[in-house]
Parts: sequence; structure tokens; C-alpha cells
Amino acid sequence: MSLVKTLIHLFVPHESNNQKAKILHPSSLSILALFLIFAQIAITGLSRVYPTVLGCASSISASDIVRLTNEKRIQSGLSTLSENSILSQAALAKGTDMLNKGYWAHFAPDGTTPWSFFTQFGYKYKYAGENLARDFCSASATVDAWMNSPTHRENVLSSNYKEIGIGVLEGNLAGADTTLVVQFFGNSGGSTATIPIAKAQGADTVATTKPAATVRPTPATIATPTLSPLALVEISPFKTTKDLSMAIVGVLILVLSIDLIVVRRKRIMRIGGRTLAHIAYFGMILAIVLILKAGQII
Amino acid sequence: MRNFARHLPHYMALFGLLLAGFAGFIIFSYDKSFQTAVAVATAASYVLWGVVHHFLHKDLHIETVVEYIAVASLGLIILFSLVIRS
Repeated sequence: MSLVKTLIHLFVPHESNNQKAKILHPSSLSILALFLIFAQIAITGLSRVYPTVLGCASSISASDIVRLTNEKRIQSGLSTLSENSILSQAALAKGTDMLNKGYWAHFAPDGTTPWSFFTQFGYKYKYAGENLARDFCSASATVDAWMNSPTHRENVLSSNYKEIGIGVLEGNLAGADTTLVVQFFGNSGGSTATIPIAKAQGADTVATTKPAATVRPTPATIATPTLSPLALVEISPFKTTKDLSMAIVGVLILVLSIDLIVVRRKRIMRIGGRTLAHIAYFGMILAIVLILKAGQII
Repeated sequence: MRNFARHLPHYMALFGLLLAGFAGFIIFSYDKSFQTAVAVATAASYVLWGVVHHFLHKDLHIETVVEYIAVASLGLIILFSLVIRS
């Protein structure tokens, strides 16, 4: 069978395929579904064997997050936040705590609050806030996601905060390779804060906390979290899956459209589903594939 | 197209449920389990729509049902694979 005949057999209604493109037969659709499942298994396996080639895609740097956050504040007519190394260390400690204990939340399962990291590193706060993000591929996507969420946006654009600290770290969180971004906001309000008010964005509670005045480790005694360096990767599993999905759905919609035209012109009568309905269904799938983005915030 | 005009109410219902599925994915973008539930519900509704439509059209055959299930399953696997990685 020549190449042209093969292509016609696969993609155009013809006598050889019982007047329906072979790729639209249920058996072919099942093979495509199986192919997708095996592709996912392969992507997962490769991302574990070659994490620097196919793994957590991350080009996020703390300085980029600070810069973009300040850009958003300037656009809203607010003053910029100054980067505070103690807050950054506290943010890294919070991220390390999440990786070590395997949780993704503002409050740890053992009851550890976000504010305990502030006080643990000796930061006396009048106001404090926390934004969390995971699995984003870039700093701009991370900050954009926060800006699109009313509660996180409130943190980014709050005039209560004067300082910022960012922790970006990579690790395995509850079995999934993850890039975490911890954004701490603070306002020390001088060194004599009495009853600090801590507000966790993304959580429903407003906590009033008394700082642990006795716990004030000096920077020299602070243990640096043991983190793996951020791996610069070439391929994102999410993007690979998205591209593959778009290609498959795109080809199917194209073949279904050809099918619709050919069947109508040749007045072919056959037993089967409605081509227009299939196009509409795959159209919805394509629309969802296009809008889906990697990354979560809380 | 004549067939489409004749079954306009059927197709309006189909477009409505697909639109609801798409909207559900946007509304529940913060929760993967909700998105998964929306994907399953949309796929099941699609198969059900096909069965009802062909039954009313008096051309319901097992091959037709299998075709709708195959199409819905493929769409479901595509969405699953993306949701788990998003």
C-alpha cells in the first residue's frame, strides 16, 4: 500500500476503511488512549531517571520574585518592599519544613504556624503574611497567579508590609517532585512590637500571636536548610503532556472535519456517532487543554 | 447541516453540557479533585447524550455506543493526564 493510500485509509472516509477514517474507529481511539497512558508512564519514569532533562521545570529565582512583586506594588502606587535576609531564611525554613514533613499548607499538621518561623529567626513583626506557590515554571507565572487570587493579591499589595523574604526550593513533596516558592511579608514596626497581628492569606483565620521573645537566634547560629540546588531543566513534563494532548486532539478535530465534509458531499450512509458531536466534545477538551496551567497557590 | 437543524434542541443540550464542563474546569481551577469530577461527569453526560440522541433518532446500535465511549474515554484520559501534572 503506497503512502498516499495509507494516509487516505487513516484520515479520510474511504471504501478501505468502511467509509470512516481508520483513526476514528473505536479500536484506533483505544490505541491512542493506551498510547497516552504509556506516554505518561514514560514521562514519569524519565523525569525520575533524568531529573535534569525531564523533571521539575524551574527557572524561578528569589530576586525575580522580589522584583516582580515590587513592580506590581509600584503599578498600584505603593512603596516597594525591601528584601530582608532574615525573612528569606525564615521562608526557606518554612519550605524545608513542608518538604520534610510532607505537607502543603500554611499550617503544619503538627500545629506549627507560619509565624513561628518569623520568631524562630528573630524577626519581631507587627504585621506578617505568607503566600505559597508550587510547580510554577517561571517567576512571572508565580506572581501572576498570586495577583489573580484576591486573597494573595491583598498580601502583595498591602501597605502594612515593609519587607519581603523569598524562599525557592526544590524537593520531593509527598511523592511528587516539586518546586516550592514561599513568600514572607513583614513589618517589624520598630523593635518594640508588643502584640503582633499575623494574617495568613489563603487561610481563613486571623491569628493573634505573642512573639516568643526568648527565641532570638543570631544569624550565625541559624542552620542553613539543606537544599538541593535548583536544577535547570530542558523539558517540563506538564508542557510535554500539554503539547502531546494538543497534537492528538488537533489531529482528531481536523480528521473529524474532513469526515463531516466528505460524508455530506458523498451522501454516505453509515452506522456510527455524530461527527459534529465528536467535534464539539474534542473542541471542549482542546479549550480546557489550552487554559490549563501548571502550578498551585495557597 | 439539515440533520443539525432538525436536531437543534439535541445539539443545544449537548453544547450546554459541554459549556458547563468547560465552565466547571475554570470555576474549580483551585481543586484538582473537583476538576476530575467535572471531567468524569462531562464524559458520562456525553455518552448519555449520544445514547438518548440515537435512541430518539431510532438508529441506536452497540457500535455507536462503543464509539461514544471510546471518544469520551480518550478525552477523559487527556484531561486526567493534564490535571495530575498541573
